[in-house]
Amino acid sequence: MPREGRVVITGVATHWGTELAKSLERHPGVGQVIGIDSSPPEADLGRTEFVEADIRNPVISRLLPTLEPDVVVHCGILLYPEEGRPSRALHDINVIGTLQLLAACEKVDGLRALVVRGSAAIYGGSPSAPSFFTEDMARQYPLNTRFQRDIGELEGYFDNFARRHPAITCCMLRFQTEIGPGLENPLIRYLSLPVVPTQMGWDPRLQFLHATDATGALAAATLNPVRGAVNVAPDGAISLSRLLRLSGKPAVGIPPGISGLLIKRLGGMLGSADRYQDGQLLMKYGRGCDNRRLREEVGYELAFDAEGAARDFASKKSGVNRLFPAPHPGSPVRSVD
Amino acid sequence: MSTVELAAEWAEVVQSSSEKMLRRLAGEYHEDEWGFDEEFAEAAFPIFNFLYRSWWRVQVEGIQNVPGHGRALLVANHAGSVFPFDATMIGAAIQKEHPLPRWSRALVLNWAFDLPFFSYFIRRIGGVAANPANLSRLLEQDQPVMVFPEGVKGFGKQFSERYRLQRFGRGGFVEVALETGSPIIPVAVVGSEEIYPKLGESSVLARLSGAPYVPITPTFPWLGPLGLLPLPSRWRIEFLEPIDLSGYGPGASQDRSLVFDLSEQVRETIQEALYKGLVERGPAYF
Repeated sequence: MPREGRVVITGVATHWGTELAKSLERHPGVGQVIGIDSSPPEADLGRTEFVEADIRNPVISRLLPTLEPDVVVHCGILLYPEEGRPSRALHDINVIGTLQLLAACEKVDGLRALVVRGSAAIYGGSPSAPSFFTEDMARQYPLNTRFQRDIGELEGYFDNFARRHPAITCCMLRFQTEIGPGLENPLIRYLSLPVVPTQMGWDPRLQFLHATDATGALAAATLNPVRGAVNVAPDGAISLSRLLRLSGKPAVGIPPGISGLLIKRLGGMLGSADRYQDGQLLMKYGRGCDNRRLREEVGYELAFDAEGAARDFASKKSGVNRLFPAPHPGSPVRSVD
Repeated sequence: MSTVELAAEWAEVVQSSSEKMLRRLAGEYHEDEWGFDEEFAEAAFPIFNFLYRSWWRVQVEGIQNVPGHGRALLVANHAGSVFPFDATMIGAAIQKEHPLPRWSRALVLNWAFDLPFFSYFIRRIGGVAANPANLSRLLEQDQPVMVFPEGVKGFGKQFSERYRLQRFGRGGFVEVALETGSPIIPVAVVGSEEIYPKLGESSVLARLSGAPYVPITPTFPWLGPLGLLPLPSRWRIEFLEPIDLSGYGPGASQDRSLVFDLSEQVRETIQEALYKGLVERGPAYF
């Protein structure tokens, strides 16, 4: 990115929007950072300018061109249905919001790049799935959940936009599920339960992306956007059973007959919608993504692999109560300096 | 050996295995990116070793045709109807007979990964869902990979059809071998097609369980779990001369007729070796 580039971040009040703003503020190559959201971010942002606006409102088409952005980063896509924000509302925020934003981007003169923080959910979940999805394998498997269909729809609009505007570098980032000691979301709450209920007979192969890498990759893609989709996933994979053992959590397999009922209760308890299908699918079949595009084309070097992210999560989680002591306290973990 | 020595030895065994168990319970073990767990595979190996040595009395020919390092695509006939043991026995043959033993991976029918418990057991001992993306990634990592191009058609065939190779899919394995420049090693497995003589199948049970088919053998499902016990046939595994594909250009995988020719060549090689091997082995069970 040339000096004095202007970056507009939509959804700046979300966790990742705020993290990106903080990261770009520190970067000398970025001229100005402008954040848009319907409510101001909780964290104190330094030189980021905040503009209060809702991207679902057509007003955004008049507002965005006046900000004269070089790069627009869309961080407003939400992953978890929550209390008072069911998947229907999520559809509104994710799909309609993106659609309005794309319409607004058409009106901006001199826009160089559009980066969207999407999700790897577009690959679907299936027992026959490749162990590592590459970017060209989207929509190979039926999109079963509402969120997967939303992401599919949204990427459709995005691809269409990219085709009609070859001058704009359109980059769709497909994030694997994030994990990190400082994060707060239903998945983290699930993994932090004193006894973790799992689906009996299933041990998914997972890739959790460390929060450091989630922010790092987003910033790297903002500074060096590439055309098309890019998977943001760590190297390697880890099975759920091993992740739970590393964090010293006993797991209890719930037989399929009663798991439906339990998951309903559990969903409410963890603060996600009562039946969070994406989580259920992920915790059954797992999902792996290939990250070569991220490493080679975006040029981001990941700090944690899947195992390292799990270990970091396990060791820094407050109130860890291991059932068994770690026999090798000094065992090597890839760490970030 | 004195009692004291024996007790000391046992104490050591108990201590080391309980240490290992504690370590595993704490999650301190290695899993590769495919979910293969070498320690687990080693722990499960005695079962397969027993089947290999005592139950099926496996005899191996041509182990020198398997490269000791680098990528290799092992293509074999598929059988078993209830449980396809052929992959585990080919893997065991490489582990036991090869001067440079190593673990090999197998592409496993997708349906197996939709079975609770089974799915992660297979994954831990080196099974991977069968699709071209997985195959080429494994070969690029210089692994030996087993494929069974007959697929369900192969391992679900009737007892009367034994050792008659079915159609070799669409030749996808040849395409990947050409793209990755991997040698193809045809493998002829004799014995595997007699462990569960499939006489018929139950479409009702298949519909109920969602399986591609449910076989009926002289013992299954009549004897319940006991019917899952494979018959002790005599096995002979022959690794044939590798087919080197590095001479073909980079665009060769797009050439349909070449792919079909090579696929047919591999199929005929295995079929011939099966007929020869059946004669060499002699009677099936005794």
